[in-house]
Amino acid sequence: MAAHSTAEPQGMTNSMLGFILFLASEIMFFGGLFAAYFIARADAPAWPPALSPEQIAEGVHLEIEILLPAISTGILVISSITIQWAVWQIQKGNQSGMLWGLFISLALGLIFLAAQLFDYTQLHFLADDTIYGTTFYTLTGFHGAHVAGGALFIGVVTVRALGGQFTAENHEAVEACSMYWHFVDVVWIALFIVLYIIK
Amino acid sequence: MLSMPLPRHLRLLAVTLASGLLALVAIGTASAIQPRGITDEAHKMNDLFWIVLIVALVVFVLVAAALVYALVRYRRKDDELPEQFHGGGKIEVAMVGVPVLIVIALFTISMLTLIEIDDKAPDDALTIEVTGFQFSWQFAYKMSDLGTNSDPNADPDDAISIIGTPQNDPILYLPVDEPVEFLLKSNDVIHSFYVKDFLYKLDLIPGRVNSFTVTPRETGDFSAQCAELCGTNHALMRFVVRVVERDEFDAWVAQEAARQLGEDTLVSSSGKQGD
Amino acid sequence: MATVEVPQLSGYHRPAVLDWITTVDHKKLGILYLYFTLFFFAVGGVLALLVRTQLAVADNSFVGNDLYNQIFTMHASAMLFLFIIPVWAGFGNYLVPLQIGAADMAFPRINALSFWMLPPAGILMFAGFIVDGGAADGGWTAYSPLAQQTGVGMDMWIIAVIVLGMSSTIGAANFLVTMFRMRAPGMTMFRMPIFCWTMLVTALLQLLATPVLAAALVMLFIDRNYGGQFFDPNGGGNVVLWQNVFWFYSHPAVYIMILPGMGIISEILPVFSRKPLFGYKAFVFATIGIGGLGFSVWAHHMFTTGSVLLPFFGFMTFMIGVPTGVKIFNWLGTLWGGSITFPTPMLFAIGFVSMFLIGGINGTFSAAVPVDFALHDTYFVVAHIHYVLFGGSVFAVFGGIYYWFPKIWGRKLNERLGKLHFALMFVGFNVAFFPMHMLGLDGMPRRIAVYAEGAGWEALNMLSTGGAFLIAVSMIPFIIAVVWAFMRPMDQPDDPWEANTLEWATSSPPPEYNFDSLPPVRSERPLFDARQGSGEGH
Ligand code: HEA
Ligand code: HEA
Ligand code: CUA
Ligand SMILES: [Cu+2]
Repeated sequence: MAAHSTAEPQGMTNSMLGFILFLASEIMFFGGLFAAYFIARADAPAWPPALSPEQIAEGVHLEIEILLPAISTGILVISSITIQWAVWQIQKGNQSGMLWGLFISLALGLIFLAAQLFDYTQLHFLADDTIYGTTFYTLTGFHGAHVAGGALFIGVVTVRALGGQFTAENHEAVEACSMYWHFVDVVWIALFIVLYIIK
Repeated sequence: MLSMPLPRHLRLLAVTLASGLLALVAIGTASAIQPRGITDEAHKMNDLFWIVLIVALVVFVLVAAALVYALVRYRRKDDELPEQFHGGGKIEVAMVGVPVLIVIALFTISMLTLIEIDDKAPDDALTIEVTGFQFSWQFAYKMSDLGTNSDPNADPDDAISIIGTPQNDPILYLPVDEPVEFLLKSNDVIHSFYVKDFLYKLDLIPGRVNSFTVTPRETGDFSAQCAELCGTNHALMRFVVRVVERDEFDAWVAQEAARQLGEDTLVSSSGKQGD
Repeated sequence: MATVEVPQLSGYHRPAVLDWITTVDHKKLGILYLYFTLFFFAVGGVLALLVRTQLAVADNSFVGNDLYNQIFTMHASAMLFLFIIPVWAGFGNYLVPLQIGAADMAFPRINALSFWMLPPAGILMFAGFIVDGGAADGGWTAYSPLAQQTGVGMDMWIIAVIVLGMSSTIGAANFLVTMFRMRAPGMTMFRMPIFCWTMLVTALLQLLATPVLAAALVMLFIDRNYGGQFFDPNGGGNVVLWQNVFWFYSHPAVYIMILPGMGIISEILPVFSRKPLFGYKAFVFATIGIGGLGFSVWAHHMFTTGSVLLPFFGFMTFMIGVPTGVKIFNWLGTLWGGSITFPTPMLFAIGFVSMFLIGGINGTFSAAVPVDFALHDTYFVVAHIHYVLFGGSVFAVFGGIYYWFPKIWGRKLNERLGKLHFALMFVGFNVAFFPMHMLGLDGMPRRIAVYAEGAGWEALNMLSTGGAFLIAVSMIPFIIAVVWAFMRPMDQPDDPWEANTLEWATSSPPPEYNFDSLPPVRSERPLFDARQGSGEGH
């Protein structure tokens, strides 16, 4: 953890510790969803599972394109770097550097969300089309909701940064925000690998 | 916080002792109530139950006795502060060691029993397909499976089936002294096939087929019922297991086959079993 | 009591109600938790009496089959989610900051939020009774696909449980930060009062297990409302998946329901034996061990599904008796060689040790897998549930109430009434629940609304019903004692019991800021040290 002085005895602040514990519970939440996915997949005779004739007649098919999500992954990874960069800048007391980092991260996050919504419109299946559709939308949906929450978080931090609230000594919110964003990023990478790459 | 008058102590002691004793007596009665079971597998499980019960009783009696003894022996007599020991050393090792040994022993014995009762059905075993539904049972016997007395010319897919209703408990016929394999299925919700005199239950789970094999050793009627909450009339999802001699069983099969398949197979007039 | 106008130092008046609603003081929130949870204990108890009335005689038609399922489901939901789990948060709220010598919890406002999530959730869950299709009726375990079939009451139950889970997750983070970071000078981790240690491990379990339950409930909600196929084999889903995720939470949850109770009686037994807890560190490690092992036994609820690794889960389930046994020996060792008195809190603590012992041992029967094939889903398991949760947790709750009442309210509960309460409850409890062992062995399944005349279960059921009503009667002396105490002046000294831990170093009730001054902390018994006039060093 970065060095900063607080009233508390040593190391990180209470809020930071509380925040880390909160992240631990978030990890367990996604862990539960991932476990469901793996159990379903291990159970399935074929993956993606076979469709019923009616579903096929309705034009349902379970194939997904990898190109757009791959680009999205790149975008999210870059945004993780930029937000970390913002943290490093404010640690050095560089306000404008931090602001740029935050702006870019926020923009990239919003692009990611837009790309994902667009991707949804390209799919030929819905949440009720086999366990495949259900897990796909549940996992990406909950992740998307977390991206949206994270973007909101960055937005709030950016507004506070514009108000000059952060200094080299006092910038905990920026750090918490970047940790959250890294978390969202890591979850996505895991999702990308299991949903799109492992066939 | 002065020391309490003795009579109240005695009363407390009496209550504790009495409840301990009551517990013992009650557990004793309980074990008398537990049916011994009517299958080979149940007998093995019953043996295991007794081992666990005895170990449990020994642990309980020792701990409870130590508790009662401490409460009586060390009740406050004067204002002297007792020796302030914090524990440690050998006694703490024993605290862990002894239970570990007990637990490993119990585990080993239960696994041995588990392996014994988990025997696979012989190829020629009678197979009965059990389907649970809200709220009764269907028992299907494949004709090709029914052993020597069934019609050799019959279509292998022919089956006789018994379907019950919540008001009318179906009867599951089994021949005595022969291994029977059950295939358990469900298409709606989870049920559980529970025959108390088998000392056994296994769930019927949509999307899975569970199976188990038993060899009944006693004839008679045994009541049984669904053991997994499955909706409004879960309590009425009962059935009767009727274990009969082989010839009686054959007679019942012939009669059911005639009734259900319209085939005039080897009907023997003896042992008609209307239900 | 609060209607009298008292001049306030702060210079402005606020109505008392507003004061309670907006409070962020950990003590007031703790008291709110206690009121809230005891209310739901009564609600759950009344539902239990309906269950027992229905089961008193064979072929009864007191309540219909449908309603019966709702009643026992809501009985368990109230008792577990609205009583036992939050009651520990109540004790913890009141006691943890006091016991570690802090002025409040780490995050007072988040603390208030945790509490205020409970009432709406409780109301939502019980509002199920007035909607079409009735309240949730799939058992507190809500096994799918059955849980897909029922009405909107089930959705309300799901949302309520998610909200309750969020409350306990953020509450857990709050407790952890408080205990890690806000201990008084000199209080190392291994000088923390044992109750705090049990709250710490409980909080860890809540933090890590509750989100998994939330994930499971979300999946169930999606299946029910958005055509999801998680638990539907026709769409490639897996029915048993629900059970795996549910028990992954709910087994650790049973330790969430008992560990703080063990902590409470580990505070009570040393005080009334006038000795330190025997094997403090062993107790701490046993608590951590139970917490850790608790995550590896969940499938012992699923032995009869035919789809779990029986040897592994059987072994782990047996093993969990070892750390629990350590605790039983800690308590015996504490009594051994002591100078024991028997005021009401001590009676409940002894009740706990003896009854939890039975509950633990009959749980071990189910660890022997082939034995569980017979016992699973019978009344034997219902006996187990209540020996651990009533004979354990509920006895600890009442022990804790009698013990800390003087601290919290500055008055003492009448001893005679307390002893009467204990005696009636102890006897009623055993009469109500011991016969269930026999019923289970004799094959009576749980969750059945009726049983047939010839089944031979009438006598024991009648006995059990009588016991249940005796438990209800036992609450009368308790209620009288509480009302009586509230009519008396606050006359309790700081430390009426000659206790050990810091909460007894301040006035009864404590001032808003908790402590004027703290005694030095040189062992896990700072007050004992202060009384003896010397640091004991440990
Ligand atoms: C406070 C709650 C609580 C606690 C503490 C426990 C503790 C234990 N439980 Fe229990 N359990 C429940 C609440 C609890 N349980 C509930 C609510 C259910 C039903 C859920 C439902 O289906 O609705 C359940 C169901 C349940 C089952 C499933 C039964 C079935 O449905 O078939 C099993 C199976 O193994 C089990 C086992 C155990 C074991 C081994 C312990 C152990 O932790 C006990 C350990 C304690 C001891 C063993 C005693 C002290 C030890 C010694 C004196 C040392 C020496 C002892 C030995 C060597 C054996 N429990
Ligand atoms: C903490 C948990 C807890 C507690 C305390 C209890 C308490 C009781 N339980 Fe509970 N029970 C469960 C948890 C609990 N139960 C669970 C988890 C299940 C499984 C459910 C399922 O299968 O899904 C269950 C199931 C269950 C069944 C099985 C139902 C079935 O399978 O069909 C039965 C049957 O007799 C029963 C009975 C009782 C009784 C008589 C009490 C009595 O001890 C209740 C005594 C209390 C009172 C009588 C209240 C008295 C108070 C007042 C009247 C007012 C007081 C006012 C103030 C305090 C301010 N319970
Ligand atoms: Cu079928 Cu219960
Ligand atoms: Cu369990």
